[in-house]
Amino acid sequence: MWTVPKPRYANGYNLCFEDVTEIIVNIGGVRVVLHSDVLNRHPESRLAELVNCSSRNNDAISSLCDEYDPCKREFYFDRDPDAFKCIIDVYYFDEIHIKRGICPICFIKEMEFWKIEQSYLDECCKSYLSEKEEELAEIANKVKLILDDLDGDQSVHRSERCQKFLWKLMEKPESSLPARVIAIASFLFILVSSVVMCIGTIPELQVEDAEGNLVEHPTLDAIETACIGWFTVEYLLRLASSPNKIRFMLSFMNIIDFMAIIPFYVVLTLTSLGTAMMELANVQQAVQALRIMRIARIFKLARHSSGLQTLTYALKRSFKELGLLLMYMGVGIFVFSALGYTMEQSHPETLFKSIPQSFWWAIITMTTVGYGDIYPKTTLGKCNAAISFLCGVIAIALPIHPIINNFVIFYNKQKVLETAAKHELELMELQSDEGATIKTKSKSDAAGAYGELHDPVSQ
Amino acid sequence: MTDRMTYGITKPNQRPGGSLPPEPIDIIRTKARSRRVRINVGGLVHEVLWRTLDRLPRTRLGRLRDCNTHESLMEICDDYSLNDNEYFFDRHPGAFSSILNFYRTGKLHMMEEMCALSFGQELDYWGIDEIYLESCCQARYHQKKEQMNEELRREAESLREKDGVEEEHGCCPDKRQKLWDLLEKPSSSLAAKFLAVLSITFIILSTIALSLNTLPELQVVDEFGQFNDNPQLAHVEAVCIAWFTMEYILRCLSSPNKWNFIKGPLNVIDLLAILPYYVTIFLTESNKSVLQFQNVRRVVQIFRIMRILRILKLARHSTGLQSLGFTLRRSYNELGLLILFLAMGIMIFSSLVFFAEKDEDATKFTSIPASFWWATITMTTVGYGDIYPQTLLGKIVGGLCCIAGVLVIALPIPIIVNNFSEFYREQKRQEKAIKRREALERAKRNGSIVSMNMKDAFARSMELMDVVVEKGEEKHPIDNHLSPSRWNFQKHGTNEGSPHTLHPRYQEVAQLGSPIRLSPSRASPQHLNARRLEDVYNKMTTSSSLTLKVGAAASHEQAKRLEEELEMTIVTGSSRVPQKERPSTDIKNTASPDSFTSCIAEFTEGEKGSLLPNIGGQRRPPPLDLSQISAIDARGPENVQPSSIIKEGLYEFVSTQPDSGGSRGGSGGTTSQGEDNQAFDMTVESIRSSIKSNNPQKAKALKVNFIESQEETKVSTPSSAQGRLPQGTAEDTVSRSPQSLSASLVEAKSPFGLLMSPVSPGSLGGETAAKGSEGEGQPSSLSNTGRNHMDRVASSASPLSPKPSTPNCSQEVAGVEDGGGEGEGGGGEVTAGSVGVENHIILDGTLSPPCETSM
Repeated sequence: MWTVPKPRYANGYNLCFEDVTEIIVNIGGVRVVLHSDVLNRHPESRLAELVNCSSRNNDAISSLCDEYDPCKREFYFDRDPDAFKCIIDVYYFDEIHIKRGICPICFIKEMEFWKIEQSYLDECCKSYLSEKEEELAEIANKVKLILDDLDGDQSVHRSERCQKFLWKLMEKPESSLPARVIAIASFLFILVSSVVMCIGTIPELQVEDAEGNLVEHPTLDAIETACIGWFTVEYLLRLASSPNKIRFMLSFMNIIDFMAIIPFYVVLTLTSLGTAMMELANVQQAVQALRIMRIARIFKLARHSSGLQTLTYALKRSFKELGLLLMYMGVGIFVFSALGYTMEQSHPETLFKSIPQSFWWAIITMTTVGYGDIYPKTTLGKCNAAISFLCGVIAIALPIHPIINNFVIFYNKQKVLETAAKHELELMELQSDEGATIKTKSKSDAAGAYGELHDPVSQ
Repeated sequence: MTDRMTYGITKPNQRPGGSLPPEPIDIIRTKARSRRVRINVGGLVHEVLWRTLDRLPRTRLGRLRDCNTHESLMEICDDYSLNDNEYFFDRHPGAFSSILNFYRTGKLHMMEEMCALSFGQELDYWGIDEIYLESCCQARYHQKKEQMNEELRREAESLREKDGVEEEHGCCPDKRQKLWDLLEKPSSSLAAKFLAVLSITFIILSTIALSLNTLPELQVVDEFGQFNDNPQLAHVEAVCIAWFTMEYILRCLSSPNKWNFIKGPLNVIDLLAILPYYVTIFLTESNKSVLQFQNVRRVVQIFRIMRILRILKLARHSTGLQSLGFTLRRSYNELGLLILFLAMGIMIFSSLVFFAEKDEDATKFTSIPASFWWATITMTTVGYGDIYPQTLLGKIVGGLCCIAGVLVIALPIPIIVNNFSEFYREQKRQEKAIKRREALERAKRNGSIVSMNMKDAFARSMELMDVVVEKGEEKHPIDNHLSPSRWNFQKHGTNEGSPHTLHPRYQEVAQLGSPIRLSPSRASPQHLNARRLEDVYNKMTTSSSLTLKVGAAASHEQAKRLEEELEMTIVTGSSRVPQKERPSTDIKNTASPDSFTSCIAEFTEGEKGSLLPNIGGQRRPPPLDLSQISAIDARGPENVQPSSIIKEGLYEFVSTQPDSGGSRGGSGGTTSQGEDNQAFDMTVESIRSSIKSNNPQKAKALKVNFIESQEETKVSTPSSAQGRLPQGTAEDTVSRSPQSLSASLVEAKSPFGLLMSPVSPGSLGGETAAKGSEGEGQPSSLSNTGRNHMDRVASSASPLSPKPSTPNCSQEVAGVEDGGGEGEGGGGEVTAGSVGVENHIILDGTLSPPCETSM
């Protein structure tokens, strides 16, 4: 593939210059001899410019390179020689690969310096680059978040300051001791309310009301009410302190919060007003349905566990794999339940009464749960069951692997991000400590210095 | 080696007459001449703009720009050439390219293939804080570092434990130690292995008996109509318990630290496996006829269940089980996650299924807690079938529950598995390392290692000798002064010179001696890294090995005999004194190695009475030292001060009697010079004869050494030495520590180090002396690149004296003399006491200035 560009450029540009000249470049101590025709394959690049203007004036040369030695005809560049070795490939092969061990971000900067377009970077390295860039962006985001938390109290208005304070109190458990206490209290309330919800269904603990229906024990009811009260207060405070109300309302965690609270109030209104509007039975049914929604409060725990957040994140990311899993299972269920149904028809006392009914059997078999409420009795049916079991294991195991992978990656990334953010913050602290005395000490400063370096060259 | 050559040439240029360093103005001019600078790191030449280096002015390279004097330059780099505008650093070239990139781009990355620790050391050397490491490498770096720190800590702990064992003053500690080895280390001997197998057999037997006991067919009915244990099985049980008890008690008795023993998790398990039996016996015996017999029975039943714990005793014999335990402990975070996931799933699905199923007739989902069981069984895909949903809605929930269960359980497990595999690998590696170390120790005790490597080491040392001699001839300034690190450097560098025609060269060198300015020696304490110190420590701890090594250095013969021989030769040499007539210079030079060897040989004797504080210090540094030193090393040159302080602390025993020793050494030096010479002659001869008899090659090597040092002696001047006098004490400490260092070298590479040893202590001492005369009291010399300092010292010393002079040689000579004189004073008695005296004097010799004038 590198034979193609040669004639093109050779014809196009080589004519402009008298003959093929050689230039010697010294990149950070490594000397390379280059031919101008090769360099002119990419006339926009720095080296090609250098070749083209080498015979002219000194100013142009010094703007292109760091130093020029006229007696040796040697151009000196204060750059990374390793990266240059990769970049020089573009003149020969029209594509660039990043060597292992060179940071892709740095490499891109080198490429910019040599005035070579990023598009010459090969696909395989591009993905590597984008990965790195993403990671850096994430770290930057995280740092920004933390920084936002750290400094905030610049707002002039007292109300704004209050709002910010409240926000930090409710949303950032690590920001202060009261915030942590609130977080722990909230966690305990979630636990208690979940336990109460479960215990409330035990028949021995229920009491009969006037109409002979079993209802929850009054003490449990009181606890429940207290928990709901807490949740409501928490939610309202959060809502009040949030800078952006609509975004707050629409965020996933807050929807869950809302769902955990609202059934209680709906039930309350229904029981107080409902009898007037609807029949009693309907009201009761509605109340029952809404009781199920109390389960949502368990998801509130996710706010307090980074592991659960990772899980949701991983599941969200591996939506495709989850679909695959369900599809495999669905296909398997259909196939094996139909097969099982047909094969079991020969038995007089078969447990497979219809295909939809044998769906249940197929699920239970394929997930290797095996309750034993339905089981095949004929030999053929047993063979079918064995095969379905094997297929089930495979069907579950295959798509689960990428999901697990995603999870592990996110889990590890979370950790790396945490350390990286911490490190970044340390760096910033150090910078602010040393302040202006040090010219270049960090990435941002170095970027400035980089620009400095760039200036004399690009002028 | 081309760069070396150029330095060799440029140096005389810089210092006409052989002693003057380049003027600051020259340096400034050279720096101003070019915008670029060539930096040679370990042979790889980089070119960089000064401007780039200025971006980090506080780092080593940043400071290079501001150094306009020879001394300050030498402090920063290992060598330089003004003509080429090149600065040499003797560091890892691979790491440097990424470090230089940090200057260029502001991004510090770690090479993938590079060890995090050595990279950290490089960073320290170049004066760059590790905090600038990019985030992508940060995690890896810190992980590795933590791991390493942990390992070091563990090692230090184990060392301390060993010490603890040694310090224990119970009855018959050696027997106890043997018992401990027998019971705790199955790999230590055949009997221990047998015991371990026996123990495993008992464990398995007892568990089988325990299970068989519950078979109704094997049980017997007692008078109350209750089933009781089978008597035969009860016997088996009793025997097993007896064995376990005996084992536990023996272990406890033999353990060096009782409390630690009882605390250990494995021993707690042991105790729990034994105790129930005795408690059962106690309860049944004491309450035989009492009315609460039923209660007792219940308690007894509970204790019977605890017998199952004995299966955990297997963990003692299986690395896999242990690492399982450790893994669970380490990944409790992930385990918590798993349980949290499961709990949430159970909660959700059980309540869902409860609402779906509760209206069904005769449903088993009576309440949410009741359906917990169903959810658990379904999520773990066990599926007993005792309870299952019957409505359509319930079945849908059940199906989802199955899939969710599979997912939720599968998710955190890979992380735990990862932890486990990592730990398991680590454990395996450590086991291997421990085995290797034990083998090494055993070999050391037998002296086999030294003799094994003797030939190779010898050949190498000879080769290097040639190289140096040749060098001394061609570019004299550089290499008159030999020091171990120098040797290392040359060895690692490209081949320069080949071993040809040795003897004429020696002569030449000897003749050249006086006019030649002595060049800085490159003894670099920098090379004294933790590992070497560790080595020293290991070797020092076993005093026998120490002597062996000295012996081995002299000959290939058996250790004990060698020791005797060495003493013998010394004695005979002393008796022969008057007969030998030799040029004094010759003798002195050789004498220094000689006296050194003798003093080492006498370490063993001195050890009994612990007469020599310094030896004691060397032999038994506090266990912490190891980690301290490694820490110093890691911290590197930037914080020279603390490190040197710590090092001084290391050798602080050494400087216990500097004053008296100094005065004595001085007096000895001044008064009895002739005697000294003779004594020297004698010792030299003795050693030489012994060496010759064993190994002619070796003798040659020694000769070379002393010929070279001869020049030094000639060159030496009193002025520099006198300048040194005031800071006797400070010097003392310093000059001793190098000696200990060189001692370590002697042991590390036997023949090779032995030759070197006399030189390095002297040079180091000289260095400090020169510094003192200059008035700069930096204690940095020890931890920093000694090489630079040496150069600097030499140059700084030179202006003081009209003649080219090096304090180090003079000092060395003094030391040698004193040692010799004292040895003579000791006379024929080569006892521990006299040996101790001799040793002291060698050290003190640094303090006596007048001696060298006589030389």
